[in-house]
Amino acid sequence: MAIEIPKSPEELPTTSPRFVGKNVNRIEDPGLVAGTTEFIDNFSLPGMLHCAILRSPHAHARVVKVNADAAAQLPGVEAVLTGEDIKRWCNPATTSPEGWGTYPMAVDKVLFVGEPVAAVAASSRYVAEDALELIEVEYETLPVVKDAREGLKPDSPVLFEQHESNVIHDRTHIWGDVDKVFAEADHVIQEKFRWNRCGANPMETFGCVCQWDVIQDNLTCHGSYQTPGFIGLGRSASLNLPSNKIKVVSHPHGGSFGGKGGPRGTDIASLLSRKANGKPVKYIEDRMEYLTAGGGQSWDRYYDASIAVKADGTVTGFKVDLLDDQGAGAEGYGTISVAKPLAAFTGCYRIEAAKYSLKLVATNRAPTYPYRGYGPPPHNFVLESLMDKAARSLQIDVAEIRRLNYIRPDQFPYTIPSGNEYDSGNYEAVLDKVLDMADYKKMREEQAKAQAEGRLVGIGVASTVEPGVFDWNAYATVGVPGVGVPEGVKVSIDILGNITVTVGFSLEGQGQYTLAVQIVADYFGVEMDAVRVAYAATDVAPPHFGPGGSRLGVALSGAILGACKKIEEKFRIVAAGLMQCEPEHMELMDGLMRIKGVPGAEMPIAAVAGAMLARSDLLPPGMEPCPEATYVWTAPGRNEPDDQGRCKSYLTAANATHVVLVEVDRDTGFTDILQYFIVDDCGTRLNPSTVEGQLQGGVAQGVGAALYEEYVYSDDAQPLASTFMDYLLPTVSEVPITEKGEVVTPSPFTPLGAKGCGEGAIHTTPAVIVCAINDALSPLGVQVRETPASPNRVWNLIQQAQQ
Amino acid sequence: MKPAPFEYYAPESVEEVVSLLEKLEDDDVEAKVLAGGQSFMPMLSMRVARPEALVDLSKLSELDYIREEGDVIAIGAMASKSDAEDSALIQAKQPLLHAATKYIGHRQVRNRGTVGGSFAHADPAAEYGAVATTLDIQMKIVGPDGERVVSADDFYVTFLTTDIDSTEILTEVRVPVLPAGTGWAFQEMSRRNGDLAMAGVAVTLRLDAGKCSDVRISVFGVNATPVRCTDAEQLVNGQAPGDDVFSKAGESAAQFIDEPIADVHGSADYRRQLVNVLVARCLAEAVTRV
Ligand SMILES: Cc1cc2nc3c(=O)[nH]c(=O)nc-3n(C[C@H](O)[C@H](O)[C@H](O)COP(=O)(O)OP(=O)(O)OC[C@H]3O[C@@H](n4cnc5c(N)ncnc54)[C@H](O)[C@@H]3O)c2cc1C
Repeated sequence: MAIEIPKSPEELPTTSPRFVGKNVNRIEDPGLVAGTTEFIDNFSLPGMLHCAILRSPHAHARVVKVNADAAAQLPGVEAVLTGEDIKRWCNPATTSPEGWGTYPMAVDKVLFVGEPVAAVAASSRYVAEDALELIEVEYETLPVVKDAREGLKPDSPVLFEQHESNVIHDRTHIWGDVDKVFAEADHVIQEKFRWNRCGANPMETFGCVCQWDVIQDNLTCHGSYQTPGFIGLGRSASLNLPSNKIKVVSHPHGGSFGGKGGPRGTDIASLLSRKANGKPVKYIEDRMEYLTAGGGQSWDRYYDASIAVKADGTVTGFKVDLLDDQGAGAEGYGTISVAKPLAAFTGCYRIEAAKYSLKLVATNRAPTYPYRGYGPPPHNFVLESLMDKAARSLQIDVAEIRRLNYIRPDQFPYTIPSGNEYDSGNYEAVLDKVLDMADYKKMREEQAKAQAEGRLVGIGVASTVEPGVFDWNAYATVGVPGVGVPEGVKVSIDILGNITVTVGFSLEGQGQYTLAVQIVADYFGVEMDAVRVAYAATDVAPPHFGPGGSRLGVALSGAILGACKKIEEKFRIVAAGLMQCEPEHMELMDGLMRIKGVPGAEMPIAAVAGAMLARSDLLPPGMEPCPEATYVWTAPGRNEPDDQGRCKSYLTAANATHVVLVEVDRDTGFTDILQYFIVDDCGTRLNPSTVEGQLQGGVAQGVGAALYEEYVYSDDAQPLASTFMDYLLPTVSEVPITEKGEVVTPSPFTPLGAKGCGEGAIHTTPAVIVCAINDALSPLGVQVRETPASPNRVWNLIQQAQQ
Repeated sequence: MKPAPFEYYAPESVEEVVSLLEKLEDDDVEAKVLAGGQSFMPMLSMRVARPEALVDLSKLSELDYIREEGDVIAIGAMASKSDAEDSALIQAKQPLLHAATKYIGHRQVRNRGTVGGSFAHADPAAEYGAVATTLDIQMKIVGPDGERVVSADDFYVTFLTTDIDSTEILTEVRVPVLPAGTGWAFQEMSRRNGDLAMAGVAVTLRLDAGKCSDVRISVFGVNATPVRCTDAEQLVNGQAPGDDVFSKAGESAAQFIDEPIADVHGSADYRRQLVNVLVARCLAEAVTRV
């Protein structure tokens, strides 16, 4: 039977929602503030050993010999793992496209600095690290592929010898008559861009405690897992265990942003446990390991892109040529980051035709992983920079050229050339509101004054779409199978009317447990205190995926509402029996099952649940005494991609426009962010303060990408940013406090009308900051085309201008 | 990221420290002293420093003081940088040192990090280096042969290396009170608030009948040790303050720097440019404070 899920808060069975849509306090916070939340490093098991990993100092080398005898002899050492064990017990990582993964530890060749070559489990991390120093590894260094451009050359060394080239994926998508729109354009605006490698840096690195039950051949992995079910499946493939014999327990984790990685660490700790006769083994990745070889590197890109523009500023075509440095293979699913832009390829604009040429290349840099937003943040930086360049050459205001090209409110649902369908939006209303908040006209006047004094002051305006609620079909073009991402919950009401929601994901920071409680409390008319969220490990949880791709708020809402609805249906039958009427005359409202139109004929849901569990004699015949329900939600209407990769992928399209004012110091190239305004539209705001938090966090990471963060590599592919002294995360001093406003255009397709908004401002911030810097630099005739716009880089440009 | 094994000692007096260091040296045991650990603990954890013995100075409360001795402010090596930052004495009588202190890391780092540690560690990007050469700070060093006093110019030897011998410790830094009528300025450029500087400048000067005099300019973050830019000082001495002369001084200082450090944050040319700009800006700022 189809379950009807409320499409707006007004459809909830309550006179007026008390929690949904309100700034309720997060139930996660007391534990975080008091320090009682159990992060993985606080967790231990009896007899637990500690793992340390020996890593390659070379970017490309043959491993000739590993001698770990002396390490094994060191008192306190209980197991040593080398490539020999790995070859015997493991399979290489599965990847999309297939065949670009390595073993979790080098077996014959190392492909990047930091790749594991041996590991030790010992009584403490100290002893384990001492033991690493006793392991002798003989390397025979090989020529290095330092970046994607080198990797493409015909005489380049090859990383994966079975493939004969370093090209992982080479494809051109054509959507619409691109040649025609470019031929008919009045202007073609073209530019090259370099987005340097940056990525996720959660406060907590990856960690796990793995225990291999050598009697039952079961594996249990506790860890800071973002997507426990997915990790379990991957381990089944890599460790040769049936998937139902691996239990993954996700602990609350200190952020993830896609960078938690964990496959290698989990495989290594698991096999050490197996070697140590089933003693649990803890592995906590340290920050240097994280920065050089963890899951925190993404988006290493060279772009050559152009837009076709009519004389009046209408943009008709968009071509992107992308060369993407995947690093040492595709184990981290960095490939999906180039597929994701299909979900919003043409941004907010009515661009009719587009072309996307992709080359993904393996190099001796660390493998790349997903990062908040996946691929669009660099893609948006490219598109928005081109919009600005067009505006400048046509002498149109940067806000107005965007307005001119926006998809109009009456055009939704709107199918973009790359195939995805946008649910709803009102881009012009968002723009107007943010221009108003910023007092854009006055801002321009002030800028003119400053420029007259010789100051380099610039304004950025950038508009983007944030695809929300990812679906696997969005990544079909790089070989990811499947349509649909099921997320399931169980809602149980106990004999006293207290409610538990069982979910398959753990705390990560976005406040989803609070959201779960808000919805259930409004649905059943109880206080939030009466609802508890329980985490279920992969062995007992309903089908689930967890946070990722701006999906969980929407998916979780759908799952919870579905389960609540199923319980409501049961309660209708039970209460009707108890109250001697027909089920269709019963309704749930404000926590009461009541007979429609009969004042006072009602009973609280606790009483219905109590009767179900304690009075079988009163239940209708055949009624299962079970006041609980499981519901698994997946986005409706998703379909298989066509031959150009076109499909309905991401369910929602949130929208934002940012306006920022910066000043560049002419003498030093430093950028100062003076003012920052945001208006966004993510449909119904289920918990406005959570939305604001997600936005502000995205701003922080966007500021990082625009101005600070870069994984620098030397010419021999040695990582030069291996500590936080060199990989610079913006801190509270660097991230502006933004002024935020909202427009609400509910999604017609989602539970409660909410849109995915978890990734938020990172879609827009890098673009708008660089656009603002370019506005500031435009009197000098130079433009930033490379991120981050570090002071040294900007100063170099200013120097160029003065020559 | 865990230190290699070491022996640990925590003596309670300077005398004990020195005799312990001497004994360890006699026994051929490589020893290092540990103060606030803000630089040394990471080096231990990364195993780039691996002494066989660690002599922890944290029990030397005798070195935890900041006091006025005539026209000198005497700061015990174990006084924390937060204490220096909060000291009304330093703020009133040696504002240059006070200003520089606030640039050292973040408050948390200054809470644990000691004043002595910042001098002894001799990081090229340490603010105190340029303050020392500008103000001619005197370092009191105690060893088996007793006490000696070294001036800033002789103290800094090279990258992370000072004149302190392996059996000696720094016990006190002696900072002259800023004479009345002296203008000062301290500026640096770092990528983020609290980062080690790519370049920084400390300046003091006086005005004598409308002309600059007693100009001292030191630069840090660009070479292994702090650099006094004597050419630039000469350019300004005897001149009326003005943008022109100050920017010439900046250019001169920039040229004076031999092979500036280059790293992922800034090239050698870029650092030279920062010196150029900061020297000019500091001179202009110092004049306003005379
Ligand atoms: C996040 C962060 C940011 C920082 N930013 C800056 C900055 O902007 N500017 C800056 O200058 N520093 C910075 N530092 C370094 C910090 O200031 C250190 O505190 C300082 O360099 C050393 O002081 P300490 O007491 O911690 O010494 P320790 O780290 O304990 O020791 C440092 C070295 O000095 C030696 N030493 C210490 N005391 C003595 C003594 N009395 N006699 C002889 N030798 C001694 C030790 O043997 C060791 O070699 C930063 C550190 C961090 C963690």
